Amino acid sequence: MSAGLVSVLFVAAALVAVGAFVAAWKRDLTAALAGLPLMFGGAGVAFAGASRFAAAGGSPVFGQEVSALLAVAALALVALGVGIAGRGTSR
Amino acid sequence: MDSLHAIGFYVSAAVSLGGGLLVAFLPGRGSRGLAVAIAGAGIVGLYASLSAGFAGLVALVCYAGCALLFAAPQYRVIDTVVAGAWRQAGAVAAGGLFAILAYAAWRGDFAHASPFNFGAIGSAAIGRLLFAHDALATEAVGALVLVALVGATAVWRGRDRGR
Repeated sequence: MSAGLVSVLFVAAALVAVGAFVAAWKRDLTAALAGLPLMFGGAGVAFAGASRFAAAGGSPVFGQEVSALLAVAALALVALGVGIAGRGTSR
Repeated sequence: MDSLHAIGFYVSAAVSLGGGLLVAFLPGRGSRGLAVAIAGAGIVGLYASLSAGFAGLVALVCYAGCALLFAAPQYRVIDTVVAGAWRQAGAVAAGGLFAILAYAAWRGDFAHASPFNFGAIGSAAIGRLLFAHDALATEAVGALVLVALVGATAVWRGRDRGR
């Protein structure tokens, strides 16, 4: 059994699509925010996979770096969104 | 990728995608937070099987934070005014997005290369990249985190003051 770049990109595409599905499907806007970390996670997996299987020439840890930054950005955006949602309903 | 890593990769993929679908269909903030945690655990497993240990550690903390935010008592529901037909169209569009991305991955002409090995974590090389070569991107994300934390604190304090 083995997994290559195509498998990684398939999983990444599925994660992005599931995140988009969550964002489109949920009636509650705050719950729709949960699609954001899934989409960012899918993009991060694609970056990490492309970096893992990359040919020589680029920096081999660039994908890990972008994945880590995407995870932090997802957390920040979720925190901001949940905070704004809490503010919106208190009035 | 050897068999052990491949098995870990496919199991983690199933866990992350299953968690993502649970996020879509489970009601309630507690169960939704748990589903986000499951999906995050799957994504961390994907990073680990791709030899991206540092990204996995960062993602572990971030997805745990996301799960706590979705399960927290401060969570408030905001119902959308979008009609059900538009939501269904969005769901179909998400399926179309997957079809396009999967087709691009399937038809892509990728070169085969020997994978790198920087150890389990590889934090030294990533640290050099984050704080030397790509310092601007790191600072941009740091600014985003600062704005998000200050904004979230401001709106929470403003809501408490309004009570």
